[in-house]
Amino acid sequence: MDYGYINARMRGMKSRLLSHRALDDLILKPDLESLIADLENGPYRDDIIEAKGHFSGILCIEYALRQNFIKTFRKILGFARQESEAEQYIRIFLHRWDVQNIKTILRGKNIHITNEEIADCLVPAGELDEATFRELLRQPDVRGVIDLLATWRIRYAEPLTASFPEFAKTRDLAILECALDRFYYADALAGVRAAGYNNTLIRDILSVEIDVVNLRTVLRMVRDHVDPAAARRYLIYGGKEFDEKMLIGFLALPTIGDVVKSLVSTRYRFLADIPESVVRSQKISVIEKELERFLIRKGVGAFRLDPLSIASVIGYFWAKFNEITNIRIISRCKTADFPVEHLKEELVYV
Amino acid sequence: MEQVKPTRMELMKKKAQIRLAEQGRDLLREKMDALIREFFKILSTVSDSRDELELVSQAADLALLIAQATDDPVALKSAGFATRRSITVDITGKNIMGVSVPVIEKKRVSKTILERGYGVIATSARIDETAERFEAELDLLIKLAETETAMRRLGAEIQMNRRRVNALEQILIPELKSEVKYIKNAIEEREREDLFRLKKVKSILERKKKKGREKKLGIEGRPHMF
Repeated sequence: MDYGYINARMRGMKSRLLSHRALDDLILKPDLESLIADLENGPYRDDIIEAKGHFSGILCIEYALRQNFIKTFRKILGFARQESEAEQYIRIFLHRWDVQNIKTILRGKNIHITNEEIADCLVPAGELDEATFRELLRQPDVRGVIDLLATWRIRYAEPLTASFPEFAKTRDLAILECALDRFYYADALAGVRAAGYNNTLIRDILSVEIDVVNLRTVLRMVRDHVDPAAARRYLIYGGKEFDEKMLIGFLALPTIGDVVKSLVSTRYRFLADIPESVVRSQKISVIEKELERFLIRKGVGAFRLDPLSIASVIGYFWAKFNEITNIRIISRCKTADFPVEHLKEELVYV
Repeated sequence: MEQVKPTRMELMKKKAQIRLAEQGRDLLREKMDALIREFFKILSTVSDSRDELELVSQAADLALLIAQATDDPVALKSAGFATRRSITVDITGKNIMGVSVPVIEKKRVSKTILERGYGVIATSARIDETAERFEAELDLLIKLAETETAMRRLGAEIQMNRRRVNALEQILIPELKSEVKYIKNAIEEREREDLFRLKKVKSILERKKKKGREKKLGIEGRPHMF
């Protein structure tokens, strides 16, 4: 397995990511047009030129960012293909876009909106290609989409078929979505169950991500006073820090302040630094932002691990994802004349 | 004025009409006062709700901006597909001083996290907060629709009442009064004419009577030829 080549390519690509200073320069651009012009002179040149043919303004930037993300990971998959193990690892991360796209199709089919409207919301960055999505879109309803996934033996058919009877009874789409999300993490963890450095690395980052997702779910459930018994089904098992018992214990706490307090003995103790006023006003988005910062830093930190492993790909995945999110935040905030200090608070610098 | 018959009967009729018009005007004035009181009561509610709506709307726009920026508009739109539902409202009516105003009965638009329809695991609290703020805005909008419609209808009724009062006060009652005056003048004129005529007849008769008497006296005083 030649991870040396993959590592060299990843570090080369990482060097082209926008630096802290480049992001600050983008923030200081007076308007959206100059921001687009600046992006056109950098690594996003081709995508911006292509996007300008379809959209203008903020839509042009967002389209270019999505296209760039899709192209970047196709490129990585292209040169990692020679190493089947590396390709498999990369796919684990890209499967989340497949899950997101299937959910979008199911949501659209559930309320019978046009295929064009659904197609506009698809990001084919995962394993499933545009032709597959086109065929899925042709199905008349939720049932048809699940049946087609099952016919083509696509992995996501399994959780959907299992939970379809419950969905048919309640018509609550969240049942199918929850089954898909749980399957994604269970499937990803199952793929790296064996011993070995790379497997441990991916298992580690996935389990931290599961912890973050679970904490976010717990906070939202506690804030809305959802019955712990009903909230349990939205938890994912396999996290690093929190086991089932701990999570159920959190769900029984009366306020999000109590949840934050109970995290002081864990690696999430940094949440205790969040101002009391934010916790009291139940603004979970602020807590969520801190959790995302932690997760992104953990992901990008993989660059410091063994270079002859999948670590550099994991690091690049999170760094690229973060860069795209940062550019989108800057562009969106530019359209609304958002104050620079508040804009910087929304960014994640790594 | 030419079509008015200057008769006592007509005078009595016109006086009755004036009394009725004045009674109507007073009633309309009372109604207008009551409507204005109701109008101002609703106006203060509407003005408070409008200020509140502005704040809620600003907060909702800000939450949407942050959610679009951080979570990608595509993900946000996709979550929106899961929550797209119609809102059922029951519209009945109530009566304020004869003005029918709507009463909107609705279920609370605001939902809990499990009622929104999208999966909880892969969506963010930013999406929840955006949904929550727009639900609150929708709740306020429906409430405001009820009070604003009531206010608009009361306003229209007040305006119509004012026009009616003005029409009674400045057109109908003065017209009736001038007709009464005309009839009174005409009757008095006629009475004067009658009096004059009677006096004239009396004087003619008296003159005739006097002449007859003088004639009679002249025949009696002349000496006989025989």
